[in-house]
Amino acid sequence: MKRLQQQTLLGIRDQFGSYAWEDAEISELVDPQLGIITGFQELLDELELLRKVDLGSIPPAGEISDK
Amino acid sequence: MSASLAFAPIGELAVRLRSGEITAASLVQCYADRIATLNATSKAFISLDIDRASATAESLAIGPGDNPLKAIPYACKDLFDVNGMVTSGGSRVLADNVAVHDAEVVTRMNQSGAIFIGKNNLHEFAYGATGENTLYGTAPNPYDQSRLAGGSSSGSAAALGYGLCAAALGTDTGGSVRAPAALCGLVGFKPTFGRISTEGVIPFSWTLDHVGTLTRSAADTALLFNVLADKVKAPAAVKLEELRIGIPEGFFFARADTEILDSIDYLLNFLRNSGARLKPVTMPSMEHSRGVSLTVQMPEALSYHNRYLEQRGDLYSQDFRAGLALGQCLLAEQYIRAKRFIESYRRDMDKIFDGIDLLLTPATPVIAPKIGAIDVTVDGQTEPAGNAITRYTSFFNMTGHPAITLPCGMHSEGLPIAAQLIGKHHGDEQLIAAATLIESSYDFKLPLPVIN
Repeated sequence: MKRLQQQTLLGIRDQFGSYAWEDAEISELVDPQLGIITGFQELLDELELLRKVDLGSIPPAGEISDK
Repeated sequence: MSASLAFAPIGELAVRLRSGEITAASLVQCYADRIATLNATSKAFISLDIDRASATAESLAIGPGDNPLKAIPYACKDLFDVNGMVTSGGSRVLADNVAVHDAEVVTRMNQSGAIFIGKNNLHEFAYGATGENTLYGTAPNPYDQSRLAGGSSSGSAAALGYGLCAAALGTDTGGSVRAPAALCGLVGFKPTFGRISTEGVIPFSWTLDHVGTLTRSAADTALLFNVLADKVKAPAAVKLEELRIGIPEGFFFARADTEILDSIDYLLNFLRNSGARLKPVTMPSMEHSRGVSLTVQMPEALSYHNRYLEQRGDLYSQDFRAGLALGQCLLAEQYIRAKRFIESYRRDMDKIFDGIDLLLTPATPVIAPKIGAIDVTVDGQTEPAGNAITRYTSFFNMTGHPAITLPCGMHSEGLPIAAQLIGKHHGDEQLIAAATLIESSYDFKLPLPVIN
């Protein structure tokens, strides 16, 4: 997987009907300076690892039954 | 008189109210006086409802058969709707957001006879575990005012910690009730996911949000749970010698302050010597659990806050906007996959609970960090302070198991240490009963904070 580029996120903002985040905020996701919970690139790397895990037919989490 | 009342558990207050030693009005006045003196220091309350509380107290007659919560002053995090009051979420964004109904849990508390006195400070919209709030200030820890009370239910913890109310309601999406309670020497509880209503509470993440309680004892937690939840069952008798307690290996005892680990060891030895069976258990892989949680949290938070962004987007704090922007850039399949991992975690945990009654971990790997600290370092590894505070709690928001934190030691730096007990799905009553038994049996009493 290639490293995330600011241009990709600007494209999502401008072409996907997104809220109009400021360029600096988009930049924060690519090069974090504010100490948000984790860097976006690291999260994407983590999600790429998780993408390769076969979850079978497990559905998304929902209510917790009391049965 | 003031301190003995202000720091008394609900059970004791209920006895004193029924005996006529104190009145509902004098109890409200006690807290009102302390709030007037200490709110500027504690930054616990954003808004107050003392006049209505006093009027309610004056009109209350307390009888022997009344609910133990009757006339007990309580507060709630300013995410909960209280009819006629602003629900600010601790943010400029909702400074004019006057509620027209009570949250379901506020209605239940009021119906029990408990007296609402005010709304607590928090990390803006519950986004963060440090409790830092640029608008209302950062609640300091009652045991050391240079340190954090913790968050995001920071004001709720400070309100109890500084002796400004008898109980408080908070929300817990990754540990935001349990962690500040642990850091401030209180008992923090979150129920089985869905067991206590979140109606009328500003959401952060529908998949992970729980309404929880902060109290001075596990026994008090039971009193609140009885009122807040439906279909509450009387717990079966709990004996220490019959408890099967799972001790997770690895993650929950890694990269932790050694004095915290020593305190937990001391507690485990007590339980073992009391006849409890301690069993090592292997947890699901936690390696990516924070990423899974974040992948669910931020798109859900964005989805809620989208209603305000166009008109009031510039009123959000910079860091929350950055988090919301992250939520915008995740793919739908990544969000769904994260929710499937959560289901996988739940199933794995349910199997573990086939052989045990409870799980026991430290509540936090660190004592309360200094106010303003961005990172904390344990065992040579550095992580953001908010991540450290909730490292041991957030997994159970995903699995939805009920969990309670209770004080079990005092650090040499003068700050509380706490353990976390986790119960089976819908085993809330049994969990609270076990915590109450441990609390009453264990030879440890946390000293009250010295508050100037």
